[in-house]
Amino acid sequence: MRKLLTSLLLVLAIPAFTLSGVEADSLVARGERAYAAGDHAAALARFDSARTAFTSPALLYNIGNCHFKLGDIPHAILFYERALKLAPGDPDIRTNLELARQNVVDRVNELPGFTLGSTWSRIRGGRDADQWARRSLWICLALFAVLAAAVAARQRILRRGLLILGGVLLLGTLLSVGFAASRHREVTDDSEAIITSPKVDVRSEPKDGSTVLFVLHKGTKVTILQQQLDWSEVQLANGNVGWMPPATLERI
Amino acid sequence: MLKLYRHLLIPLLTWCLALTVQSQEIKFTAQVDRTTIATGEYVKYTVSLSNSRERFEAPSLGGLVVVQGPFDNSSFTIVNGRMSGSTSRTWVLTATAPGRYTIGPARVRIGNGTIETEAITIEVTKGAATHSDPNASQGQSRDPNLFTTITLSKSKAYVGEQIVATYMLYSRYNSLETTKSDMPKLDGFWAENVELGETNWDPQLSTVNGLQYRTATLKKQVLFPQRPGKLRIAPFVMECVVNRSFFNRGTEVSIRSNSVEVNVSALPSGAPAGFTGAVGELEMVVKADRTQVKVNEAIELTVTYSGKGNLKLMEAPALDLPADLESYDPKVTDRISLSGGGMTGSRSYQYLIIPRHEGDFPLEPITFSYFDTRSNSYRSITGAEMTIAVSPGDGSTATVQRPNRSDVQVLGKDIRYIRTGDLGLRQQGEHLFGSWPWLAGMSTPLLGFLLFLGWRRKREAQRHDVMGTRRKQADRTARKRLNEAELALKSSDRSAFYTALSRSLNGYIGDKFGLGPAQITTANLTERLAGHAGGEALADELMALIAACDMARYAPVEDRPRQQLYDEAAALIGRTEQLVRT
Repeated sequence: MRKLLTSLLLVLAIPAFTLSGVEADSLVARGERAYAAGDHAAALARFDSARTAFTSPALLYNIGNCHFKLGDIPHAILFYERALKLAPGDPDIRTNLELARQNVVDRVNELPGFTLGSTWSRIRGGRDADQWARRSLWICLALFAVLAAAVAARQRILRRGLLILGGVLLLGTLLSVGFAASRHREVTDDSEAIITSPKVDVRSEPKDGSTVLFVLHKGTKVTILQQQLDWSEVQLANGNVGWMPPATLERI
Repeated sequence: MLKLYRHLLIPLLTWCLALTVQSQEIKFTAQVDRTTIATGEYVKYTVSLSNSRERFEAPSLGGLVVVQGPFDNSSFTIVNGRMSGSTSRTWVLTATAPGRYTIGPARVRIGNGTIETEAITIEVTKGAATHSDPNASQGQSRDPNLFTTITLSKSKAYVGEQIVATYMLYSRYNSLETTKSDMPKLDGFWAENVELGETNWDPQLSTVNGLQYRTATLKKQVLFPQRPGKLRIAPFVMECVVNRSFFNRGTEVSIRSNSVEVNVSALPSGAPAGFTGAVGELEMVVKADRTQVKVNEAIELTVTYSGKGNLKLMEAPALDLPADLESYDPKVTDRISLSGGGMTGSRSYQYLIIPRHEGDFPLEPITFSYFDTRSNSYRSITGAEMTIAVSPGDGSTATVQRPNRSDVQVLGKDIRYIRTGDLGLRQQGEHLFGSWPWLAGMSTPLLGFLLFLGWRRKREAQRHDVMGTRRKQADRTARKRLNEAELALKSSDRSAFYTALSRSLNGYIGDKFGLGPAQITTANLTERLAGHAGGEALADELMALIAACDMARYAPVEDRPRQQLYDEAAALIGRTEQLVRT
């Protein structure tokens, strides 16, 4: 009972501590003006404070742009990746990410098929993370509306047509729920990370002094397999696995 | 007695005479022509010895510098058959600094004794300033007869500011041959040698601290310091052979020059944008040979830097041309001279520009920034602003004038611009999928559908139920009404009989087939009974009976007896009941 009460209080208190939507919008507008004026540091500060409570692919993309303009390539890549995770098909994010990646030293993260399924991933990814969830709601509503109409129909031809339409809609519902589920898994999955320190020795064991397996540089994307004592076991796109010391990477 | 005297006196006299002659004859003196001089003036110091052939010892000169000499002089006189001689040696001396100088005694050894001259003190006062090169006097203090110096035009400079270094040779020897010379390594400088041609003695003698020297300029360099701090130029070493003649093999002399230091200060902060390190007294002129051309005609754009400074390190100007103007690598023309004054002259960059399309092309003015050594501050010169007006070609030069279609050139790469306007902000960490609203939204249609189905089924069931009851009770109701009709028949109530009979039949058909009172027609009834054998005939009979009843009810016509009508109705209901049940 007490737990429930505190959580309820928390829920009620959050809006008081964090930004309101109007404040966030004005922060973003000021950030845009600063960016247009060339003051990328100020723009970054504004966008970042808007991000404390809100997010969107466009906001993350703008933050990535600020980092890029300030010369912080790893963070630019990090934010482009975060934006791309929410809106996988976005051409602007892809273009800028490609450009930022040209500054990365390590050549391991050329994932095959990254550019292959562009249209597919655009369809599958949608404009934002919730688009398929919203679509599934509408399609589900349409499905049952059509089914109800079919039940109520007296003429046999009409009823048959409606039933075929219902079958299509049922398929659509299942697909959209599946897409929404896989997108949700992708969006909430934070196992991928970008290296932010200039150079990292990847070791065979999670402790200093163990054998250095290979050296990675800032901007490279890795997959975190597990964490132990703040050390992260990472895997590269080419399958190499090793341990990285703490505070050398940031999760996407 | 006299004899004794003579014997005694003569040797005595002779001895005495000899003694006097000796004391008269040997004379050893030292003298100066004056005892007070000013620095740079000369004093003549002479030591003379008469009537002796002994060599005397030269005195210590007590810090005075020999300007000339020693000159030896000897004279012989024969008087009364007697030869008397004197030798003298003369030095011309000078002093470099004021003070009291003592020329020590000169000594000569005669027989068992030594004769000394008197010491002479010379007062040197400060003279009029003569040519006083500190480097020269420093070098001179090492070896007054042969020395070399390095002289810099300035001892304090900014990075990149030019300094002229002069290497001089001072010599008082008649013959001099250089066998080896090591020029110093220049650490931290960019050096340019000044062409001097063959090394020759300067026609004019130069005086250093009163001494006259022949001088020669060995080398001249223009130095540009490359880093701030104290930069030292090491002494340079020369080996010479002096006084070599036909008879003399000469003496080898090794000389080292002074070393010099330059205090190089870094350029002050606040360099303007586009400053590339030019230092000096410079100017820039931008000129185009013409600004109105036709397409594909060449324009020559010349950027000329002139003045004093390191022109050879001058970089090509950053030319920011519109993309439709084609330009080629510039032709560099140098008119740079190196002299004792440093590096002067001009360097010009000549660009060939060819416009490929018509239109007006404003050229960004070229800005040149340098550090001015006159005012010790940065200066920026902006070239003239110009617009190149390109008119379409007249076709006389080119055979075919066709609009050049070319791909859009990608001039630079940059990230795309940020998103503006509505960014579609959402609460951080809020996901629609799997949330309560989503689950509710997904299940509501299903729930609605199920409710709809349930309602529909219930309504259907209800309707079915009502009809079933009616159908089940149709027979009984009809018989009840027939009983009423029977009562009316017995009491001979005509109107009640027909009303009850009509209601009985109509009610029965309505209840049995789920029809409303208005729906009881032949067509409807036929349809309902269509599936049964003889259903159509029965329907006709029923409808005929109802019609007969109605006729009798509303008109005073009775085509058959009431009892027969009653029996007929009861039989028809029974048959219908039987027919529907099977």
